[in-house]
Amino acid sequence: MPSASPHKGRSAGTKVSYESLAQKSHWLRRKLFEMVMATKKGHIPSSFSSVELLVALFYGGVMRYEPGKPDDRDRDRLIVSKGHAAMALYPILADIGYFPESELTLFTRKDAMLRMYADPSIPGIDAISGSLGHGLGIACGFSLAAKQDGRPQRSFVVLGDSECYEGSVWESACFASHYELDNMVAIVDRNGLAIMGKTEELCRIGSLEEKFRSFGWESVSIDGHSYREIAEAYGRVGHTKGRPLAVIANTVKGKGIRFMENRSEWHNRMPNAAEQEQAWRDLETSCLSH
Amino acid sequence: MSAKPKLMRDVLIQEIFSRAQKDRNIIFISADLGAESLDLFRAQLPGQFIHPGICEQNMIDLAAGLAMSGKTVFTYAMASFITARCYEQLKVALGAMNQPVTVVSVGVGLGYDDAGPTHYTTEDIACMRALPNIEIWTPSDEESAREITVECCERPRFRYIRLERPALARAHHGGFRAAMSQGFCEVAPGSDAVILSSGYMLHRAMAAREQLKMAGTEVAVIDLFRIKPLSGRALTSHLSRFSHVITLEEQCLAGGFGGAVAEAFVDHGVAKPLLRLGLPDRYFFENGGRNHVLESCGLGTSAIVERVGEFLAPSHRRSAHLPNVPTLSSF
Repeated sequence: MPSASPHKGRSAGTKVSYESLAQKSHWLRRKLFEMVMATKKGHIPSSFSSVELLVALFYGGVMRYEPGKPDDRDRDRLIVSKGHAAMALYPILADIGYFPESELTLFTRKDAMLRMYADPSIPGIDAISGSLGHGLGIACGFSLAAKQDGRPQRSFVVLGDSECYEGSVWESACFASHYELDNMVAIVDRNGLAIMGKTEELCRIGSLEEKFRSFGWESVSIDGHSYREIAEAYGRVGHTKGRPLAVIANTVKGKGIRFMENRSEWHNRMPNAAEQEQAWRDLETSCLSH
Repeated sequence: MSAKPKLMRDVLIQEIFSRAQKDRNIIFISADLGAESLDLFRAQLPGQFIHPGICEQNMIDLAAGLAMSGKTVFTYAMASFITARCYEQLKVALGAMNQPVTVVSVGVGLGYDDAGPTHYTTEDIACMRALPNIEIWTPSDEESAREITVECCERPRFRYIRLERPALARAHHGGFRAAMSQGFCEVAPGSDAVILSSGYMLHRAMAAREQLKMAGTEVAVIDLFRIKPLSGRALTSHLSRFSHVITLEEQCLAGGFGGAVAEAFVDHGVAKPLLRLGLPDRYFFENGGRNHVLESCGLGTSAIVERVGEFLAPSHRRSAHLPNVPTLSSF
C-alpha cells in the first residue's frame, strides 16, 4: 500500500500487501465478534462495515503513531465519530500496544476500561463519541491547532452516512474548508442504513461525494471493502493542498456475517446460539475481494 | 464623580486581548457577535481570532478540539444561542470531556430589549447548571467582570460567564477578588432580611433595598455571583443571622437561581422562609422594553418592595416555618 505522505512514525509508510491487510480485517472481525459475544453488548454490523477503513489506517502505513505510545504529541488523531463503531478500534489499539489485550475480554464489564462508547479515558481514543455529529468539529480544533503550532499532525474522522443527517457535520465541513484544513480527512462509512431502514428511503441523503465537494473539499467515492480502492483514496492524504479530504466509502453494514449484511434490524440485535454458529462459520472465511 | 461604566464585554475582551498579545495560545472565537473592543483584537491578532460562521454547535466542538490541543479558548455569542442552541455540544464536548473552555454569553435574561423569546435567555441558569463540571459566574459590574476574566485566563476550566448587555453601575469596591473563592459577597448590609441576586437584578435589589430602607425595613443584599458550584455551607451559614431570605432573578423559576438556593437550604437543613422572585412560566412577546416586561411580571422595583414587605409582614412571620413559593396568581 502506498505511503500517504512523508512521515516520521514507525507505522506510517510501511509497505504491506493487500493480502496481509485482508488477514488483519479477518482477525479484527473475529476479535470483535468474540468481544461482543462475551457480554452481548455492542454494535456488530456498524463496526464490521468500517473494518477495512480502520485496518488500512493503522496497518496500511497511513496514520502516524508510535506503537506503545498513545500519548505521543505528534501522532495523528482519529475520531470514530459514529460512536457505536468506535469499539472496532479496541482490538487494534491493544494490538499496537496501547493497552493490554486482556482488556478486550472485559469489554463493557463492570469496572472495565473498555466502554460501549469510547472516550479519551481509553488510551488511543482522541475524543468522546456516541452522540452523532461531534467528531468533525472536534477534529477541526485538532487540525487548526496543529497548523497554528506548525505540527505535522493530521486528523482522521470516521463518520457514519446517517450521521451526515446531523446539521453540525455541515457546520464543521464549512469550517474545515474555509480554514483550509488540508490536514484533515473525513472517511464516511456509507453503508446506506440507519437504524430504521435505508437512508435513501427514510430521508434521502443523495451523493455525499458531491455534497462534500460543494463545501470545498477534495472528495472521492470508493468501495470501502476494497483495499486497492482504499489505498488509492488514502494515497491522497497530504496531497490536497488547501483542501480537506473526504473519502466516501461505500460499504456493507454487517460485512462478513452474511445474515447480517445490509439488514438494518441487526443494528444492535444479538444473535442466538444457532446464529452465532452460523456467524462463526462465515467469519472463518474471508468474504473480501481486493 | 465616577467614570462612565464600561460594557462588561469590553472589559472581558480587553483583558483577554492584553494577555493574548503575549500568549499566542489564547484563542477567541465569536459566532458573529461583535464588540468595539473585538475589532482591535481581530485586527491585531488575526491568527487568534476565529469566526466560525453562525455555527454555535461547531464552535463548541471546535473549542473542545483546540483546548485538547493546549489552547486557552474563549467562545463568545449571544446568550440565547451559546446555551440552548448548542447544549448537546456543551454537554458532550466540554462537559463530558471536561475541557477548560470559557463560554461567554452576552445579553442574559431580557437583555435584548423587545427581541422576544428567541433572544431572551430566561432559562440558561436552569439548563447550564445541570451540566456536571461547569462553573457558572455572573458579573454585576466592571470590577467583577474583570476579576472573573482574569480567573478564566489564569486558571482555565469549563466555565459559563453570563454577561449583561448594557453597562452596569458599580456594585463592588475592590473586594470582589477576596470573595471569589466562596462565590458570594454581601454588597449592602441589613438585618431584617436579605436579598440574594446577581448581575442586572442585583442592581434592582439595591434599588428595592433603598425604598425598603425609607419605609424602615433594613434589608441586606448579597451578590451570589457564582451559582455553580454553590458554596452551600458557607452561604447558609452566612444567612443564619437573617430570618427571611429573598432570591431575585430575571430567569424562569424552574431550576433557576432561586431554585439553586432552595436546594442548598434543603441540603443544609435550613427551614427559614424563602421567597423566590423571578419570571412567570411563559414566553414574553410584548413590546415596551425590558423594564416594562419586568414590571408586568411583578419585578419592577416598587413591586419587589411590595412583595418583600408582604413577605416580611407579621402575619406572614407567624407562619414563617413554611417556605413561601410564589404562584402565578401572585404576579
